[in-house]
Amino acid sequence: MDGKVKEQKRHQQKHSGPKAERKKLKKQEGSTEEDGRKRNPKAFSVQSAVRMAKTFHRSQDIKTKKHHIPHVDRTPLEPPPIVIVVVGPPKVGKSTLIRCLIKNFTRQKLGDICGPVTIVSGKKRRLTFMECNNDINTMIDLAKVADLVLMLIDASFGFEMETFEFLNICQVHGFPRIMGVLTHLDSFKNNKTLRKTKKNLKHRFWTEVYQGAKLFYLSGMVYGEYQIQEVKNLGRFISVMKFRPLVWQTSHPYVLVDRMEDLTDPERVRTDPKCDRTVSLYGYLRGTHLKNKGQVHIPGVGDFQVADVNFLPDPCALPEAQKKRALNEKERLLYAPMAGVGGVVYDKDAVYIDLPASHVNQQQVRPTTELVQSLIDTHATLDAKMAASKVSLFSGSATLDSTDVGEHKEGPREECVWDPNTQRKRRKVVFTEKEEEDVSGSSDDDEDGDVDSEDGDQEEQEEDEDEDNLSTFLKDARAESDETEKTVTDAPPAKKQKVEGGKKRGEESAEVPAFADSEDDLEMSEEESEEEGENVRAGDSGHCSEEDEEESGDDDDGEEEEDDKEESEDESMEEDDAAGATMKKQTASESEEEEEDCCSRHSALEFILLFPSTGGLRWKEGLQQKASEAFLRQQKAAPNLRKLVYGSVVEADDSDDEEQELGGLFRVSRPQNSKKSQANGVDSSRFDPDASHNWDLEEMLNSIRDCFVTGKWEEDQDAATLLKEDEELYGDFEDLETGKVHKGQTGDENDEDDADDDDNESLVKVDDDEVQKKKRLEKKQRLKERFNAEYDDEDATYFDDLKEEMQKQAELNRAEFADVDDETRVQYEGFRPGMYVRLEISSLPCEFVTNFDPHYPIILGGLGASEGNVGYLQMRLKKHRWYHRILKTRDPLILSLGWRRFQTIPLYHIEDHNGRHRLLKYTPQHMHCGASIWGPVTPQGTGFLAVQSVAGTKANFRIAATGVILDLDKSVTIVKKLKLIGYPYKIFKNTSFIKGMFNTVLEVAKFEGASVRTVSGVRGQIKKALSTPPGAYRATFEDRLLMSDVVFLRSWYPVSVPQLYNPVTSLLLPAGQKDSWAGMRTLGQLKHDLGIRNKPNTDSLYKPVVRAPRHFNRLHIPKELQKALPFKSKPKQQQPKGKTPRDLQRPSVIREPHEKKVAALLLALSTVHNHKRKKAHTAQHAKHKEFLQQKEKLEEAKLKRQKEARKKLYRIQGQVDQKKSRSSLKGAEEE
Amino acid sequence: VCRNNNNMASHGLAYDGCNFFRQRLVLSTLSGKRVKIKNIRSKDDNPGLRDFEASLIRLLDKVTNGSIIEINQTGTVLFYQPGLLYGGSVEHDCNLQRSVGYYLEALLMLAPFMKTSLKATLRGVTNDPRDPTVDMLKSTALPLMKKFGIDGEGFDLKVVKRGMAPGGGGEVVFTCPVRRTIRPVQLTDPAKIKRIRGVAYSVRVSPQMANRIVESARGVLNQFIPDIYIYTDHMKGANSGKSPGFGLTLVAETLNGSFLSAEMSSMPQGQGDPKLPEDLGRDCAKLLLEEVHRGGCVDSSNQSLALLLMTLGQQDVSKVLLGPLSPYTIEFLRHIRDFFQLMFKIEVQKPSEDERKGGDKVLMTCVGVGYSNINKTIK
Repeated sequence: MDGKVKEQKRHQQKHSGPKAERKKLKKQEGSTEEDGRKRNPKAFSVQSAVRMAKTFHRSQDIKTKKHHIPHVDRTPLEPPPIVIVVVGPPKVGKSTLIRCLIKNFTRQKLGDICGPVTIVSGKKRRLTFMECNNDINTMIDLAKVADLVLMLIDASFGFEMETFEFLNICQVHGFPRIMGVLTHLDSFKNNKTLRKTKKNLKHRFWTEVYQGAKLFYLSGMVYGEYQIQEVKNLGRFISVMKFRPLVWQTSHPYVLVDRMEDLTDPERVRTDPKCDRTVSLYGYLRGTHLKNKGQVHIPGVGDFQVADVNFLPDPCALPEAQKKRALNEKERLLYAPMAGVGGVVYDKDAVYIDLPASHVNQQQVRPTTELVQSLIDTHATLDAKMAASKVSLFSGSATLDSTDVGEHKEGPREECVWDPNTQRKRRKVVFTEKEEEDVSGSSDDDEDGDVDSEDGDQEEQEEDEDEDNLSTFLKDARAESDETEKTVTDAPPAKKQKVEGGKKRGEESAEVPAFADSEDDLEMSEEESEEEGENVRAGDSGHCSEEDEEESGDDDDGEEEEDDKEESEDESMEEDDAAGATMKKQTASESEEEEEDCCSRHSALEFILLFPSTGGLRWKEGLQQKASEAFLRQQKAAPNLRKLVYGSVVEADDSDDEEQELGGLFRVSRPQNSKKSQANGVDSSRFDPDASHNWDLEEMLNSIRDCFVTGKWEEDQDAATLLKEDEELYGDFEDLETGKVHKGQTGDENDEDDADDDDNESLVKVDDDEVQKKKRLEKKQRLKERFNAEYDDEDATYFDDLKEEMQKQAELNRAEFADVDDETRVQYEGFRPGMYVRLEISSLPCEFVTNFDPHYPIILGGLGASEGNVGYLQMRLKKHRWYHRILKTRDPLILSLGWRRFQTIPLYHIEDHNGRHRLLKYTPQHMHCGASIWGPVTPQGTGFLAVQSVAGTKANFRIAATGVILDLDKSVTIVKKLKLIGYPYKIFKNTSFIKGMFNTVLEVAKFEGASVRTVSGVRGQIKKALSTPPGAYRATFEDRLLMSDVVFLRSWYPVSVPQLYNPVTSLLLPAGQKDSWAGMRTLGQLKHDLGIRNKPNTDSLYKPVVRAPRHFNRLHIPKELQKALPFKSKPKQQQPKGKTPRDLQRPSVIREPHEKKVAALLLALSTVHNHKRKKAHTAQHAKHKEFLQQKEKLEEAKLKRQKEARKKLYRIQGQVDQKKSRSSLKGAEEE
Repeated sequence: VCRNNNNMASHGLAYDGCNFFRQRLVLSTLSGKRVKIKNIRSKDDNPGLRDFEASLIRLLDKVTNGSIIEINQTGTVLFYQPGLLYGGSVEHDCNLQRSVGYYLEALLMLAPFMKTSLKATLRGVTNDPRDPTVDMLKSTALPLMKKFGIDGEGFDLKVVKRGMAPGGGGEVVFTCPVRRTIRPVQLTDPAKIKRIRGVAYSVRVSPQMANRIVESARGVLNQFIPDIYIYTDHMKGANSGKSPGFGLTLVAETLNGSFLSAEMSSMPQGQGDPKLPEDLGRDCAKLLLEEVHRGGCVDSSNQSLALLLMTLGQQDVSKVLLGPLSPYTIEFLRHIRDFFQLMFKIEVQKPSEDERKGGDKVLMTCVGVGYSNINKTIK
């Protein structure tokens, strides 16, 4: 065969001749659409305008359907692990699947899957697996945090209710990615049924999720595990999956807790086992930025205030950037503190996971665990805020630091003794700052020589001064600082202003990085009152000081305004002169201040000196350097203004202490002694002008010349330069107007040139061309932008613009804080998603700890601005079509809304056409209705679902209703119909007196003018109250009432929503009973449980209908009227006539016997005669009849004869006529 | 066995003294956090809340639904639990101790986050030297808010009647549509000033006063820019309020559409030394120069408004270039941190040597808290 194939003759392409030429021509021209058009214009003409419009519409529809509302992409650079929730009914193979996947990714075996398991699955992706048990609480919670749901379905059984319940939960809370996995496929013996089942299940799954949703098939097990290849495929699918952000998740921070530590003092627990616990919870932060001190909701527990948040080194970090394709063994990390694989040791700051996998290389395992361990360890050093932790774990570093660092740390604290407030304050924030200091210090050390000589001097000085009883002069300082502040306030800072322009700037750049921060820190710790003092020092940047002064001026009550102008002037003068600004300033300023400074600086210095000893761990060094760099950078940018404004950060952070002091709900955020006097100042946003600016001076006027269009313009904005640039840019273009083709080429050329140049430069590395290069780059950028703008302009739609805008914003978001170190960044942004954070929560109920079960997820859901409050919520609700009953108003219902699960009492209502919300007793069967509840404030548009009970599993579908929040308010407007009834007690023509409707005159007065109606439909109006009986009134009607009529007034009565908000605290239940939470029972359940049966209203009972025969009265027409009526309409009297009057009565005749005889004879004779006559008559009649018959016969015969005769006659006549006509025809012929 | 954690853990904040009273109430209303203010002028001869503060509380009560306000007997302790912002049509007689601007500044911050669009009629003193006047807010605060996406049909501030300081009698109508979210802004380049506009107003004095003010103000400003137009606004009869007075509001508009303003009103009748209109015009012009010297994209009295709107923006980076921070703004920043746990990145931008663009500027950067108007109803 092969030989044959080879033998086939190959196509010979013509290289010359007409055919080849034609082909060449074709190739050159290219068979474009235009070409086709030319050849066959008819095919491209418009056949039908309507059809064309239709197709156009359709194509546009399809196009726009594809668009999503563009979002700003806020995903962090290092995203948190993807949460994969494995759901399914029991015994479907969830744990096995997780185990297989983990083994697939990390080559490690896990026994029991407890809590979230985080693994590194690839170079850029981490996964957190979480198994979802069959408890509806767990299903609800996990649906809210899932990114991907692996929905396991037992193919041998088919779908189970849990699957659909979970799907419905997902739909309500934002639809995460869902992937179906069919298991137990090996139980099918028949291949055809297998195929059929697969197909059926697939299509059902598609209708639930979306058409074409991915469904995985896991065929049989091998040694209790799924087949490796199939798991691998599934893993691959997971690791390339893309996710669309869900609204709720992207607008709320949340943590899926993977580790929990009880920090409560054991002694307290011993004495009072039921005491509230302080607990720290760990996990990856997801969603959005988390602010410190925020509020979180823990589903199943309740709302809590976060006492503290800090970020820890990532325990399951992504591998560092590298060029390899696959991960090596070391990088395949696994982090699952809760997963109890044999010996899990929960420790203060470390978790040891036993990994007894035989095939895992022992030598490699150790380093990984060690790495994890060291990371956790080191976090603790960083995390000194964890004051409770005794740093017991650092075996290595503890000894080192305990002497120096410990002392040193203590140092400032002990110094703080003079101010109890600050002393306490210090603790937390100082540490973080110290970190910075450390860092900065170290960098200073390195650069010491460079910084400046003065600094060195200063340090010496400081060292000399040392910490000789600081407390004393600090007190002094405090006392005098007030004075100085005032002096500063009063002193016109004119000179400072002048200084600004001068040397100062230069100085600052040198001086600031070294000390600004450290000073401030300590200042802050020392006292608020010193703030101003510090500001003066800090206020080398002109306006800072201005503000300070102004602020203090404002704040001051102006009671003790002692003019120490000279001092401040001195100060400023010296500032002018100063070369090493800080130093000299200090010397110039009050001695106390200086001393304070010295202290602070001294401490900073000590840190610097100490640092090398502390730095024991390698990774930390890197961090340190990075941080120091970041720190320096930051310092360059922001000198002291931040401290001036947020100087009190320290206090805010310490407020817990104050909180304790107050022992109440409230937190004093700014307990500044100095501020107390200013606490009642004038509240005005006006910013009074700087008195020093004399706008009469030419020099002053000149300082703002360039703010006006008449002033000098910047290089890049100046009209002249712009014009020139345009020429440069478009110079080439102008001559290109002739031909289109050139346009692109020239542009390219330009680019190429630039690129070439760049290349050359980079090769040669010419330093002096740096500026040029930059310029060229800029130009290139501009060109590119311009080109882009032009290029896009063609079909730039609103959508494109919007997308571009979002893109720009996203870039800005990323870039803004990219080079700030994490400690600082966290303060600005909050903790960003992807960080591994530790949240400390005090006062958690003890059951949370004692009944802890790692199989149940703990979620910390961050709450927005006012989501911690409760109020009335109005929502749109629909009973789930699979739920078999309708819901009754005022029956408690468990809602899952936002992060929360809670029981509440809804009132159902429907909106009438006039906007009135009318109460409904039950939800409609197949319709939406409104529902109002008392519950947690949640943004509108949030979906919710309702279940009647979370306890146990019933065979039926558990989700009772779903809906969405429409409105939040502090009051409700639901009304129910109320009919007030009354009875007429006196009836005039159209006016009646009604009683029984109201009780007092006042009530009637309120309803004057209201319309009333009778049952029979007579309408009326309330006119006025009557004095007696109370509550009676006069009303007019359109017709006369009857005494038997019932009058009613239709009114609307506002209904109040019961204020029940009862969070489902399922997590607090003992292990094993967590799915048995029961809240308030419905009335029906209560009655059922207590065996109460309502006695029905006897009036409501059905009784046999007994109807009395109806008696109608006679119609009576008045005599007068009768008289007037015409006879026809007159009632006819049918009654018998009365007795004939006597005069009209005729006497009866009594016959004689003879007369009787005669009469009898006559009667007999007449009878005989009658009989005879009758007989004769019948005979006569018969005869006549016969005669008539005869006559008729004759007549008939006669008619027949006549007819025949006539016939004969006509025939003859016809023949004659025929003859005649024939002869006439003949005659005609003859002629 | 288990206890219910029924208390929603939302905690409150506590403050001492009546300082920055408005900020606290406004931020409390927006954040939903309770606030307790103690020791309000407790050491004062006349302790407790002043009438104008009480009036502000009343105004807040009018625009909200379900607020709980408790004041103790002496008025030295105030507890405020905010309700939901309701909006709608509101009429308020502002206390004459402070001008309408005092109340209006609070309303400006709240108005975009109401349930229904606000139509507030405020009566009282429209112009006084202590607070930003209505004219100034109209010409600076409104365009500023427009940059944050708050604009549209009913966004307007109308001065119906003008009322000068002690007597009042002015009337202002402020209408504002509601927004669900505020968009982030990048106002980093104020650009150059292209024109100066202004209003010289006078009531119950000679209409000539306004002209005299204009004359003198122009005299100062003309050396910078020729495009100056100052309107004279003389109100008569019923529209002129109860007290005599005059004043000037100047607004400098830059090429990028940011506004810097300065203003000055005559001292209230019977208080302080009377000022000649010429002096007033000149001083006001100098104030404007001062404002220009401070610079930035937002003028000094609206800094806090801009910062608030940045705070309440979506979770994106917003930047605004400001002049030196006013003490009021500094305190506002602290309050924002208390209520929203948000800190601004503050960078000082120093003018380069040869630049003649006034003093240092401050670049404020923050990531919005992602605030969404929870009051607005969806259908």
